[in-house]
Amino acid sequence: MSKSSIFKSLTLGTLILPVLLMAQDSSYTSYSSSFNQSAFIPDIALIVDMSYTNRNVKDSEQENLSLLGNAYPDYVEFNSNNGFNLNYAELTLHSDVDQLFVLDGVFHFNTEGVEIEEAYFTTRALPLNFKIKGGKFKSDFGRINSQHQHVWDFADAPLVYTSFLSAEGINNIGLQAQWLAPTPWYMMAGIELFQSGNGTSFSNESFTAINNQEVEAATAPNLVVAYLKNSIDIDDTTLILGINVATGANKSEANQFDGSSTVYDIDFTSKSYFDSYSYLTFQTEVMYRDMDGDNLNSLPSIQDAYNQAGLYAQLVYAYDQNWRTGIRYDTIFKDTLNDTDNNTPLNRYTVMAEYNPSEFTRLRAQYSHSDAFLEQGEITPRNIDEFILELNIAIGSHGAHSF
Amino acid sequence: MKKTILLLLILSTFVFANINVVVSYPFIGALTAKIGGDNVNVETLAKGSWDPHFVVPRPSLIRKVAQADLLIINGAQLEIGWMPPLINKSSNARIQPGSKGFLDLSHSLTLINKPSSVSRSGGDIHPDGNPHFSTDPYLIPILAKSIANRLTLLDPTNRDVYTQNYQTFITHWDTKLEAWAKQMKPLEGTKVVQYHELYNYFLKRFHLISVGNIEPLPGISPSSRHTLTLITQMNEDKVSYILQDVYHNPKTAKFLQGKTSAKMLRLPHDVNAVHEADSLEHLYDTIVNELTR
Repeated sequence: MSKSSIFKSLTLGTLILPVLLMAQDSSYTSYSSSFNQSAFIPDIALIVDMSYTNRNVKDSEQENLSLLGNAYPDYVEFNSNNGFNLNYAELTLHSDVDQLFVLDGVFHFNTEGVEIEEAYFTTRALPLNFKIKGGKFKSDFGRINSQHQHVWDFADAPLVYTSFLSAEGINNIGLQAQWLAPTPWYMMAGIELFQSGNGTSFSNESFTAINNQEVEAATAPNLVVAYLKNSIDIDDTTLILGINVATGANKSEANQFDGSSTVYDIDFTSKSYFDSYSYLTFQTEVMYRDMDGDNLNSLPSIQDAYNQAGLYAQLVYAYDQNWRTGIRYDTIFKDTLNDTDNNTPLNRYTVMAEYNPSEFTRLRAQYSHSDAFLEQGEITPRNIDEFILELNIAIGSHGAHSF
Repeated sequence: MKKTILLLLILSTFVFANINVVVSYPFIGALTAKIGGDNVNVETLAKGSWDPHFVVPRPSLIRKVAQADLLIINGAQLEIGWMPPLINKSSNARIQPGSKGFLDLSHSLTLINKPSSVSRSGGDIHPDGNPHFSTDPYLIPILAKSIANRLTLLDPTNRDVYTQNYQTFITHWDTKLEAWAKQMKPLEGTKVVQYHELYNYFLKRFHLISVGNIEPLPGISPSSRHTLTLITQMNEDKVSYILQDVYHNPKTAKFLQGKTSAKMLRLPHDVNAVHEADSLEHLYDTIVNELTR
């Protein structure tokens, strides 16, 4: 290395060094913002739901209880333990993908792990008011199925939902097409095709039955959901009427059943607003389930036809932005096996009161009394009293209010 | 049968001849009707007398948005709690944000009160700035221009009609602005409190001073502790008026009126908020008349 080149590198060094030092100064970091992508971060929200629960059933006794052949523990997806519960931390991501699609992801974190609650695309540019959704998503069957727990008016889902559609409702992998009719009133028709359901009515599994019979799963996708929803306004009252049907294979190891199910549902809502914040809502859904197939508990298997029906009816009154209260009546009033009625109505009564100090925090107290769940081997339902104090808090992007 | 089809075709061309404009709030509807004239059908989603932050997203509104050729919103996150699901559920490709059929009026203005730091511990704040610019009549011409430009873009054949309507409107509006400025002149420096920071644009324009709000934080209901502090402050500052909107409970404002020398006024914030404010012009007439009575 010649003298001049040493001199050159020294001069270069003295020139570069201050530049490097300046680059470390925060006021001189313009190059980092040239490629800053923070403007493209999707809308993010985190919703945490927790509760203090007290019921007159010990946690250990729960597994001995069931309703219509379905185990009680499956009903209590949330608030399942006496004492403190962390029901979930729900992480949602939402953003436009490009000019054609929107992408949504909803993840449920709980102490046991993470679940993809929903992950789906939606079209944004189809003509004639058509919309296609695909991925894992909650079906728009009925009034409540598509709602997440934190949007419910009560801490738990109605009995008809958990009994006929499972604790998660119809939430599976599939495709949905919806069309808004150009009618003077609101009319929306939709059809959905799912891989299968989530147990209770629409399991689809291959298994060896108790009677050693081999059951083959039906070719998937095999669950079809269709609905027609209508709505009109009369002054400040909105009426909604929906007709819904879900039909698919039912091959369930838990229920030792090989056949198919169809669930029919009619939902009706009347919501009257008194001002911007105060309203009274009456909401009801009647559900009817028709199950046909083989009962595999015995050899040879028995051809069974189950018909079950139930409903819920609820009244919710919002006094103002901060206070809300509601009552709900739940019942399964028909349970027929091969034309023989074998049950008296199974009922549940629920009351709740809510305090919302802001749009992002909700404290709810709920009490319910049910005589719907049977202990194994018993014929009279067990009386269950349950008290839930639930806290729901949200941060991040502003969740829009759905109707 | 053929006749019926022909009739349907004629009917549908008749319907499609006009631009279906759907707007979020009544003041935008009134302005759009002035600029669009006979070439537009205007549908308004919100009620003028209810809280603009909490419009009920009824299914009937989805149907209206579904049939829109142009959707005009106030913007600045005023509609954040109710408009996104309507746009999403409408499945209407014409009015998706970013398309020709979507107009956000806040983009044509510079907003005031933009918070320097954003945290929900400060209440349900608007991070882009105060969205209630509809209370300043001087901003209406800017909005009118923006609407005229967009209508021209969608319907270039009627360019002259929109330009003419805009000119006629502006000429008349300028005389109204002069009259309101004259009426408001003696009130310069008057001190007021508001329920929510709803009238900041109006107050800034006519040089009135807002010294406090009845709600302790944006979107949070009044608390007794905050109300007591406000009474002390109002008496110290010699506040003249309490500006109460039409949709919040006036209980606290009435209480303050009893404890201070300030007078409560129920002011409209939008067209049809009160009976007298039945047009854009009458909206500002009503506000100015109430204050100068």
